[in-house]
Amino acid sequence: MVALVIALALLFDFTNGFHDTANAMATPIATGALKPRVAVAIAAVLNLVGAFLSTEVANTISGGLIREGDGGVKITPVMIFAGLIGAILWNLVTWLLGLPSSSSHALFGGLIGAAIVGAGFGAIDLSVLLSKIVFPAVLAPITAGLVAFLATRIAYAITKKKQRSRFKIGQIFTSSLVSLAHGTNDAQKTMGVITLTLIAAGFQDTGSSPELWVIVVCALAIALGTYTGGWRIIRTLGKGLTEIEPAQGFAAEAATTATILASTHLGFALSTTQVASGSVIGTGIGRKGASVRWRTAGRIAIGWLITIPAAGLVGALASWVALAGPGGIIADAVVATAVIVTIFVFSRRNRVDAASMAVANDPAALVRPKRSKSKARANR
Amino acid sequence: MIDWLAFLSVLVASVIGACGVVFLFSVGLRFVGSDSRRVRPFGVVSFVLCGLLILYGLYLIIPAFHR
Repeated sequence: MVALVIALALLFDFTNGFHDTANAMATPIATGALKPRVAVAIAAVLNLVGAFLSTEVANTISGGLIREGDGGVKITPVMIFAGLIGAILWNLVTWLLGLPSSSSHALFGGLIGAAIVGAGFGAIDLSVLLSKIVFPAVLAPITAGLVAFLATRIAYAITKKKQRSRFKIGQIFTSSLVSLAHGTNDAQKTMGVITLTLIAAGFQDTGSSPELWVIVVCALAIALGTYTGGWRIIRTLGKGLTEIEPAQGFAAEAATTATILASTHLGFALSTTQVASGSVIGTGIGRKGASVRWRTAGRIAIGWLITIPAAGLVGALASWVALAGPGGIIADAVVATAVIVTIFVFSRRNRVDAASMAVANDPAALVRPKRSKSKARANR
Repeated sequence: MIDWLAFLSVLVASVIGACGVVFLFSVGLRFVGSDSRRVRPFGVVSFVLCGLLILYGLYLIIPAFHR
């Protein structure tokens, strides 16, 4: 059981990585500041490094959402197992739809669902749910959007048109910062899940820090996921919401970095994914002549709204089956694997990969194919 | 239920941080790419300040530096 939970936790870490590549790298890829493959490689390395930089693991898996500890619910490995299934499946569904959604919310949602089935509605602290998830989800994109809007206005007011392509150089630095910040935060979640499972199973002392091998495998899993690149989400964030110019990309990344750093250090936690999406929309409003596709933005917002209930539903279902006994757990694992395979097969139908994100830096590149065709005809 | 003061400080800090970096980088681009030679050093200074702000971001990201 413990081995199964660890395997699932690593799979979750992997989906977390490829879901969140877009947060840092969608804008530099969209403006051509970094080539797609190079961008995901940088992001992967920085996530790997980030995972080692900070190993301060949260004391609670759910961040207080579920009443853990004395007088509350004891979170069992079975609950964590079911919660992880919910989180992974929801992450894959949103990836298939190309929606940037918060991986932490998927994890919390899955765990909440599992805890409700395992321990009843009393297990959930509703006020924490509102103040930690629902309100920040509204405030994060608005904050980041406002910041990105102002930054975009400043960039366009100061620079002349011919100078703006040089923002690409700055983009490399700002997007790297986003990646590193992501690595220091997100690998911790999985380390926390695995460590708490080991503690619950009695393999590790209460309150001890994660073992070295846990840190290493978590870092590798998130880096590998990042390198794989959630190209569908990168496409949505980089091209689907608005057309991004280098100056906008720089402004959006600066806004994302500043907002995330401020929120982690001033005690008002915001989701990286929601901040990054808000920045892109803000910069789209900020440039004259740019338009924001609000339909896409609306789809993303709906995705955020249903992340917790949807992951919770899957988590609850998985938990309900798993509580039936060992056979239930095996059934869960089999069904989950089948669904994952189905999603991958389905995604093959219309592939989105690095090649589909290639940017034509040179306007002539868009014309050339035609010209060569006519040339070929002339040669004939 | 919501810590509005914390939220406000996050908002203000993000605006200052992001707009600061973008302002300095933009001024740097403007001056360094300028036709008049006299203002170019100001552009370089601006880039350096921008770099320092980015380093401060790095300092904030890496916990080992501030604990």
